[in-house]
Amino acid sequence: MPATDANVRAFTARLDERPCCAALVAHERLDAALASPVGIIFVLRADGLALRPLIARIHAADKLVAVHLDLIDGIRADRAGVRWLSGAGADAVISSHGQLMPAIRREGMVAIHRLLLVRRGLLEAALAATAKSGADIVEVLPGVILPEVRALMPSLRVPLLAGGFIRTEAQARAVLAAGAIGVTTSAENLWSAALR
Amino acid sequence: MRRLMPVFVASDGRDPVAPPPGLEAGILLRDLDLLTLVRRAGSIQAPIALDLDSVEGLNPDPTAARFVIEELGVDLVVTRRPTVALRAVELGRSALLHVLAFDSTGLARSLEGHPGTPGVGTIVSPGPVLDHLLAPDLQRLPRPLVAYGFIDTPERAAGLLRYADAVVVPPACALLMARGTLPADAGAVVGRG
Repeated sequence: MPATDANVRAFTARLDERPCCAALVAHERLDAALASPVGIIFVLRADGLALRPLIARIHAADKLVAVHLDLIDGIRADRAGVRWLSGAGADAVISSHGQLMPAIRREGMVAIHRLLLVRRGLLEAALAATAKSGADIVEVLPGVILPEVRALMPSLRVPLLAGGFIRTEAQARAVLAAGAIGVTTSAENLWSAALR
Repeated sequence: MRRLMPVFVASDGRDPVAPPPGLEAGILLRDLDLLTLVRRAGSIQAPIALDLDSVEGLNPDPTAARFVIEELGVDLVVTRRPTVALRAVELGRSALLHVLAFDSTGLARSLEGHPGTPGVGTIVSPGPVLDHLLAPDLQRLPRPLVAYGFIDTPERAAGLLRYADAVVVPPACALLMARGTLPADAGAVVGRG
């Protein structure tokens, strides 16, 4: 089932309601994330070969799940890995591998391409890669500096997420004001924050 | 033991490079190819740092570290590989382990591989992220600490020098900095660990 505009709309609608997404790097934070009002949970670290029950629990709490293909254990960042995540029930897949974005969409999931801010000299190539990848959403890292570098970036055709070192409401609000439609954070204090 | 320049002017080596008069600075060569590096290195009078991972045609391994130090006179090797950093120190020079700080998890993992030995400091990209690190995170970064990337104005550079021992800036920014002043305590001694 190819990703449709409806899939993406459903995903971004959650962000409209609650722009803060919970980023999980350990299972012990899962209960807190499930109890929080976030609409989307980003699974950054987990056993990729045992995702199905985790994703089922998140869905049971009426939340969407985005899985980081490059960081989870046991899964290779290739097309077969993408198919595995689809079978596990992921709603969205995050990766820095632009060439996998079409495969993610073909599996009916929202494709999120990570844009890594290293230095200005590499920004143009990174932007070109995200434009070429056909991603549904671009996630900027470290998101906390998005307000500072946004002026260097042209308007993108797709929505922006921001993640990385966003720990306070002030930082989150600044990132949203810079044009992001949502933030991903492991800071629990933000999961319940009313950012809009 | 050499003192680390508080400022490094970034250069791809295409044009003759020198710090602007009045600015105590070194040159950080990056994004160039091996032939250009060989041609350019000998003509630079200021201390030379080299982003080893960004040199086309050069495999950024310990052999390359020996070559750029012994044959080209590079003073400071920037690398993402701990083994390369340690090789630079063995050869009597200094190194900065390049840490890409995209999020707290990635930062912690990068630091797990840091040798943490005297002579190997840390260079963090993007530089402005230092503004947003918590004090314990900053304290975990082995010194000297250098901020690298997205530092385009003297104000930004001066702000980051509150946390970092040095900054990497583009030539236009260096020129503006040469007309101003840096914090009195800018700079650090390389090799203090």
